Amino acid sequence: MSEAALGASATTRFATREVLKHVVLILGALVVLLPFYVMISYSLKAPAELMQNTGGFFGSQADFLDDRCILLGGTEASCMVNPIAYNYDSAFREAPLFRYLLNGIIVTVSIFVIQVIVALPCAYALAKLKFWGRDAVFGLVLFCLLIPVHAISLPLYVVLAQLGLTNSYAALVIPWTISVFGIFLMRQFFMTVPDDLIDAARMDGMSEYSIVWNVMLPTAIPALMAFAIFSIVAHWNDYFWPRIVITGDRSLFTPPLGLREFRGDADGSNFGPMMASAVVIVTPLIVAFLLMQRRFIEGITLSGMK
Amino acid sequence: MASIELSRIQKRFGTAEVLKDVTLSIADREFVTLVGPSGCGKSTLLRILAGLEAADGGTVQIAGQDMTRVRPAHRNLAMVFQSYALYPHLTIAQNMATPLKLRDLSRWARLPVIGPLSARSAYRAIGEQVRETARTLQIEALLDRKPSQLSGGQRQRAALGRAMVRQPVAFLMDEPLSNLDAALRVHMRAELSELHRRLGATFVYVTHDQAEALTMSDKMAVMMGGRILQFGPPDQVFANPATLDVAEFVGSPKINILPGEVDHDGRVSALGRGIPARLLVDGRLAKVGLRPEQLHLDGGADGWLGRVVHRENLGHDLYFHVALDADDQRLVVRGAQDRNGAESLGDAVRVGFKPDRALFFAPDGTRLHSVVPAKLAESA
Amino acid sequence: MQNSRAHLWFIAPALILIFLILMLPIGLAAAMSLTDYALGNPGFNWVGLENYERIFTRSTYERMFGATFRYVAVVVPMSVGLGLGAALLIHSLTRFGNLYKTIYFLPVMAALIAMAIVWEFALHPTVGIVNRSLEAFCGTPLELWRWHANGCENGFPLWLSDRDYAIWTVAFIGVWQGFGFNMVLYLAGLTSISPSLYQAAEMDGATSGWERFRLVTWPMLGPTTVFVVTITIIRSFQVFDTVEAFYPQGGGPGKSVYVMMFAIYEKAIQQNLMGIGAAITIVFLAFVMILTLAQRWLVERRTHYV
Repeated sequence: MSEAALGASATTRFATREVLKHVVLILGALVVLLPFYVMISYSLKAPAELMQNTGGFFGSQADFLDDRCILLGGTEASCMVNPIAYNYDSAFREAPLFRYLLNGIIVTVSIFVIQVIVALPCAYALAKLKFWGRDAVFGLVLFCLLIPVHAISLPLYVVLAQLGLTNSYAALVIPWTISVFGIFLMRQFFMTVPDDLIDAARMDGMSEYSIVWNVMLPTAIPALMAFAIFSIVAHWNDYFWPRIVITGDRSLFTPPLGLREFRGDADGSNFGPMMASAVVIVTPLIVAFLLMQRRFIEGITLSGMK
Repeated sequence: MASIELSRIQKRFGTAEVLKDVTLSIADREFVTLVGPSGCGKSTLLRILAGLEAADGGTVQIAGQDMTRVRPAHRNLAMVFQSYALYPHLTIAQNMATPLKLRDLSRWARLPVIGPLSARSAYRAIGEQVRETARTLQIEALLDRKPSQLSGGQRQRAALGRAMVRQPVAFLMDEPLSNLDAALRVHMRAELSELHRRLGATFVYVTHDQAEALTMSDKMAVMMGGRILQFGPPDQVFANPATLDVAEFVGSPKINILPGEVDHDGRVSALGRGIPARLLVDGRLAKVGLRPEQLHLDGGADGWLGRVVHRENLGHDLYFHVALDADDQRLVVRGAQDRNGAESLGDAVRVGFKPDRALFFAPDGTRLHSVVPAKLAESA
Repeated sequence: MQNSRAHLWFIAPALILIFLILMLPIGLAAAMSLTDYALGNPGFNWVGLENYERIFTRSTYERMFGATFRYVAVVVPMSVGLGLGAALLIHSLTRFGNLYKTIYFLPVMAALIAMAIVWEFALHPTVGIVNRSLEAFCGTPLELWRWHANGCENGFPLWLSDRDYAIWTVAFIGVWQGFGFNMVLYLAGLTSISPSLYQAAEMDGATSGWERFRLVTWPMLGPTTVFVVTITIIRSFQVFDTVEAFYPQGGGPGKSVYVMMFAIYEKAIQQNLMGIGAAITIVFLAFVMILTLAQRWLVERRTHYV
């Protein structure tokens, strides 16, 4: 704005204000980062250090004696381990963490792909085709935006249980195959695509199907990215639904379930490995976010547009 | 109402020098247009005058007071923005009342619910002022609508209304007509001029359209490359441009520029044809400017021989684009009023000119003046 | 489009799934809420409104509503307010804005269940970093704050296992997790405000930051606010991960954190009381609908530009 026009007398006031803003924002950042600090720090430290709360952020990194190794008949010399190695190694050894991560990928990717296959043509029809009842369908979509799927999980669970589908990948995926949010987001995006583009494709002799997949899909990449972010973040991190439909069968656990189970039988010596697996589970999305930050934020921005 | 003095204004954005030592004085009640191609610095100059942009050097005086370091809100200027910048959530009446409320009401009286109750008479006065202004602009019927419900022209009027409703010392307008369609633009030109006369206020108007500058202003400042090239009444700028750039910018269709030569006696010739004028330079090249209306298609035997390549029919006027046979040169010629359209595409024509208003420029673009009036030069 | 039925093929899959996955379960839940159905039983009895009667009379459910509304009443205004505040501060910065943006957004990406476990460590009454840090300030001027002085003398709160603190602590974590998302939406809203409106406000005589905010920023953020408040309401009603992680049995000290999603989970999934669970589901949906529609109506009336 025009602060610059206010002259030299204001510049000092301006600078102190800027400093004040940074102070507030840094305090906020400290609170926000606190649990991340705890998580990473705990995953690096030896059990004794955790219990006594010593060693600062990194811990001393001195080797310590692994009791379990002794129980299994190892010698004291061979059972000395480095805390970081111990924590991360146990995380992967005590639970099939790789399996959980793989399950996470299978579930999130299948959900996303199915959602796109269902939502994209529907969004195209709502945005660009004129047909009887279009407004009603769009109204229905807007209404369904208000239905939290978690809230209706109970009847869904009952139906799946009756069909004998619990404890399967299908159970993890089926309730999420329809995303009204995806339809809405994509429809808003298609509204901004000029009609001329579609008319030109029709003049070129394309069928409506190939328009959807060969013309609209490529133009919708930014919107699809946005939607991918929402979908993948939501379902990678989802805990409630897997908790309900997956009971017992570890080979179907998604990362949050695996972590939860880890915690179930946690005692003092387990905190380090548990935090290590928390780091492993949280890291993929954080890294993806840091790498593609602009896309992420653009995507969220897109979802906010009316 | 007040006079405005901008002196030695400098402004740079990064390394780009946008305004180079611009000085401009605007008299009280004058309608001054800043006109120039995009990027010439005209909008920046207006925004420095408004205070929305800080100058790197120079001073702004309004009504004799130094306002260089005064914030925009306290300069008591009103501005009409290119995008109109009406508050979309407020009705037109509320939009127009905003500057009055912010200036005339105390902080307390501006509070949402309590304000209107406690300062009832002040609110009534504001409402009266808004209606009065709306009546002048004939937008009373629109007062309860939101900006999104109005057409471009109506929004333009509403923005004017918001500027007019208080008595500012001057009105600043930043390309206010550029978002309107052609017909409405022409209509609004007349209306703005009339408004200026009625209000008797100082207007500073920025546009890239030379037609707006010519039709509306008392004085126009032609800007290019961060400088004012010429400042004067439109007639004078048109008839007597200071430089080649000004001559080319003002006037539509554009002036024809022909390569010319000056002999040792200062006599000028262009494309092999002598022009009755004498310049104080000799043995040099010069450029000769001839506006389309000074050219005609019956040049007789010594006219430039050419061929009609394009006819531009504007209804009230007909222009011929003529490619000359001898040189790689095109001329735009206004067709004679009485024998409109006699020539058709491909016809061979001889282009002649009325010699008395030819303009001469040195190769660097500065204006060269004939030492003898054209008429005398011809007879000499 | 003449004589083309492409739209049918485009919208049919979405419509069928909307019906099967979103609409039908609501009807099913409504029906189930009138029965004493249990999974595995051969039949069921219609019990009329008995389940609802129970929900609105038993003290357990009174606590459930109390916990849910306390949570929503804290999380919605706080995370919207902090989101807006952070966005305004960051937007006005000349430098480092992106850094803060990234930091504040991290909790949104991180799996809540993992972060809940981390928070549990951080809030541990004796070895947790929060109370340790508070203790470290004992004997400093911070003790002038009576709450802090009291903590130094009698020990700092147990946070998660103290009846008086539990729900607020959980709500705090909810705010911590969610405000960064709102901030990004508000930042997008702020960047889309035309600078000429601020200039017009300045020319109109709006000299203070507050006046500019009231005249331009807040009204122009109206649509963003509708969106932000809606999704925040829906999200905060659905809180489950933190509650289940902290209190796998019974909903916290004195059931003070017995939120609705947890109640549905406990009653229906753990105790196989489907009728009660379905009744809570229906009440839950009614709340979400009423609240979001009411706020939409309230805000939209003021901010709609048309």
